[in-house]
Amino acid sequence: MKRSHLLLAIVAIAALLLFPIGIANPYYIHLLETIMIYAILLFGLDIVVGYTGQVSLGHAGLFGVGAYTAGVLVTTLGAPLMLALIASIGVTAVFGALLALPALRLTGPYLAMVTLAFGTIVQILINEMTFLTGGPMGITLTKPPLFGHKLDEREFFWVVAVLLLLSLIVVHRVLRSHLGRAFEALRGSPVASDCMGVSVYRYKVYAFVISAGFAGLAGSLYAYSEQYISPNSYNFELTVLFLLAVIMGGRKSRIGSMLGAAIIVLLPKLLDDVEMFRYVSVGLAVLVGITTVVGIHRGRTTVRQMAIPLVGSIALAGLSFWLQTMTDWRLSIFGVIMLFVVYYLQDGIVGFVRNALNLQRPKAEPQPTGAPLKGGDAVSTAAAVDAVGELLSATGVLMQFGGLKALNKVDLRIQRGTIHGLIGPNGSGKSTMMNVLTGIYVPTAGAISFAGRSVVGRTSSDIALSGIARTFQNVQLFGEMTALQNVQVGLHHSFNSKLFDVALHTPRYLRESRASVDRAMGLLQFVGLADLAFEEARNLPYGKQRLLEIARALALDPQLLLLDEPAAGLTAPDIKELITFIRKIREHGVTVILIEHHMDVVMSICDTVSVLDFGQKIAEGVPAAVQADEKVIEAYLGG
Amino acid sequence: MQILTQLIFSGIALGMIYAVIAFGYQLTFATSDTLNFGQGDALMLGALVGLSLVTLGLNYWLMIPLVCLFGAFQGAVVERIGVRPAIKIKSEFGWIMSTIALGIIFKNVAENVWGRDDLKFPSPLPEAPMKFLGANVLPMEVLVVIGAVLMMLAVEFFNRKTIYGKAVVATFNDRDAAKLMGINTGLVITFSYALSSLTAAFAGVLIAPLTLTGATMGAVLGLKAFAVAIIGGLTSGMGIIVGGIILGIAETTTGFYISTGYKDVPGLVLLLIVLAVRPQGLFGKSAIKKV
Repeated sequence: MKRSHLLLAIVAIAALLLFPIGIANPYYIHLLETIMIYAILLFGLDIVVGYTGQVSLGHAGLFGVGAYTAGVLVTTLGAPLMLALIASIGVTAVFGALLALPALRLTGPYLAMVTLAFGTIVQILINEMTFLTGGPMGITLTKPPLFGHKLDEREFFWVVAVLLLLSLIVVHRVLRSHLGRAFEALRGSPVASDCMGVSVYRYKVYAFVISAGFAGLAGSLYAYSEQYISPNSYNFELTVLFLLAVIMGGRKSRIGSMLGAAIIVLLPKLLDDVEMFRYVSVGLAVLVGITTVVGIHRGRTTVRQMAIPLVGSIALAGLSFWLQTMTDWRLSIFGVIMLFVVYYLQDGIVGFVRNALNLQRPKAEPQPTGAPLKGGDAVSTAAAVDAVGELLSATGVLMQFGGLKALNKVDLRIQRGTIHGLIGPNGSGKSTMMNVLTGIYVPTAGAISFAGRSVVGRTSSDIALSGIARTFQNVQLFGEMTALQNVQVGLHHSFNSKLFDVALHTPRYLRESRASVDRAMGLLQFVGLADLAFEEARNLPYGKQRLLEIARALALDPQLLLLDEPAAGLTAPDIKELITFIRKIREHGVTVILIEHHMDVVMSICDTVSVLDFGQKIAEGVPAAVQADEKVIEAYLGG
Repeated sequence: MQILTQLIFSGIALGMIYAVIAFGYQLTFATSDTLNFGQGDALMLGALVGLSLVTLGLNYWLMIPLVCLFGAFQGAVVERIGVRPAIKIKSEFGWIMSTIALGIIFKNVAENVWGRDDLKFPSPLPEAPMKFLGANVLPMEVLVVIGAVLMMLAVEFFNRKTIYGKAVVATFNDRDAAKLMGINTGLVITFSYALSSLTAAFAGVLIAPLTLTGATMGAVLGLKAFAVAIIGGLTSGMGIIVGGIILGIAETTTGFYISTGYKDVPGLVLLLIVLAVRPQGLFGKSAIKKV
């Protein structure tokens, strides 16, 4: 952390802790306390919404589960504060798992649909299960004692503040760790992250469960803070407010979450007061007007683009003078704000300010320790260098899409330590073969065994972890992550640290984290991208992106590396370099399957070449023999 | 036994309403991979507009086409304001949030126009129950089942037999290819939203005489239809009818044998079980993702 940032953080924390001393009015103390509690929930929600890109409409329900867990434990068992908090986190996380495990099996809006149903059902159940929850009457509880001392309003404020800071640190650490990288990767490219051994399904569920845990913590604190909980507090409107807060504050930002929390706590108060609302809406209209004029003047936007927000904000101002009272129209104004934020403030306030002031997102730039890597370079020697025999054998592989046989009874035998070329005209089934080998397609018939184990029916991430790495014909990088982080996602398997290690920064985590930076840097060096380590992958030129994919694949410590047209888009000198380092990779004992259209590359480095045409293998052998094969010539030139 | 038959009959009528709403989800999901989280509110608006028309003295049967027209218009508005910009920026979060926002606005407007209290919708058919297999069946319940089936058949017929329907199916199969073939896919998507809200509004006036009509009537129905759409499969027409009937009967029986308070619970439980065991739904086909 930079010195100025550290200083700013210390001042902010001090101001927060001194707040109840400076301002004695319990109303304001309670208000700020509520903001902090919401912020804790939003940190969690941001993991799901901002990082994994899923939509949860059940966070009000989870918040309610947390509150009622604490409420019930305190009233029936007289549980102490610490126990109630921990139990709330645990119970809510279990609920989160129950929702996420089935709902995330498919991609699409399923999580949103399931969590929406859950939110409604929770409210009904709390109302109905009178024996436990007191039903519509709710539960009344008092501020808890801590270490034998009963907390007053101000002291409880400090408890919340401390927990907010702890949550902030934990969330921050999780998102900076291999877990956070997994969350971002699965959003960037689900296929690639599965093929890097990071199971998309597992980490989506993981993110949701962590997020539910924070909702539980926030819920239990809320129960103590309000001293009264009733089913109707945890309704659909609250869920929508939470989502609005995340997106309005700014996704993928802790400051955004805190800002969002402040907005959703203060907004309803603002909407209750029609006078105040008139001032604010006029102010907004003027602001939008100025932005429009300046924007058009500078040629940064067009009249068309700005018409809707401009008319909208003026209409809102007009509306505010027409309405006598706000309470009836609160929800509509809410809805309008949501629409506005979703389309015109996508990066939230934090993103907007960053853009306007031209600030960079704070980027982590971990420096390698400089410790020498084993074996000279970073490519693993996990595969024994001089092993011989068959590494992969595919027999009678049939892949049928409807009536089309993309692969028709193909046999493929790959010897350890060789470079095996796979060529054929477009649409001959080469990439389909890759997808079958890496578990993206399950073959209709046939057997595939890799290092003595069957591959068929296993998940892509499982196959990847057993030692098959690949690159993609159409580059599948994690665009918003740096080159270094991309490679580190490939190194995910090298982490044994659990959530607990990450949160506490145990020596194990620190050691693994440092090791992964060193390895990743080494691999980037190997492909010649070391000086671009902190550049976002999407900003790299196409050729470099292909090299980065290879580095990422090598990070998996594979025994078998599948390269899908690595030379496409490379310049002639780059291709020469590519050839040397494919050879180098092989020298480390890694077996390579190479799909390539550049025949000079194929012919110069492959030990064996198989030729596919219309889903069938038409030739196989040493390059020279294949080159002379009648059938092959016919397939390429047409007969 | 008589009670059980009774419960099954009311369950089927309820289930068919769920099926019609779920059908609306399928229509838009098919063309654009999106669905309207405010579908329940479209139903509610249809019912309330219908109620106003009937109160003005219009005959129930003449009112239905007008309500359908209104529904189609409302659906087109939702698509233009809420969904199209989100499809353009490829944001799942965007369309979910904006259809929810529009739903909230519609509900709030309805509260202010028609009031917060539930209203009684006059029944167009006699309210005396008929005897069938020893159970009491309301004529209106029979109408609901028939109306729902006819509606779905009409849309299916449209999709399969007319050139416009083929454009819809083509957009469903491959949006980009359809676009290249000169189909105005944007218009098709708008159209599917109009059709979807039309069916919801139609379902609204069908069910309104059986229940109370009011601004809050849509939320729970829309939610149940989610469950039905997932249980049956988001791509299967047969699935939603079966799913709707299963859920309808599960609810009426739970309501009777356990407690009316718990009648909404089996929906979620069934939903989670189906997703865990057969995520593509009872009748859905699993799609192969291409890389």
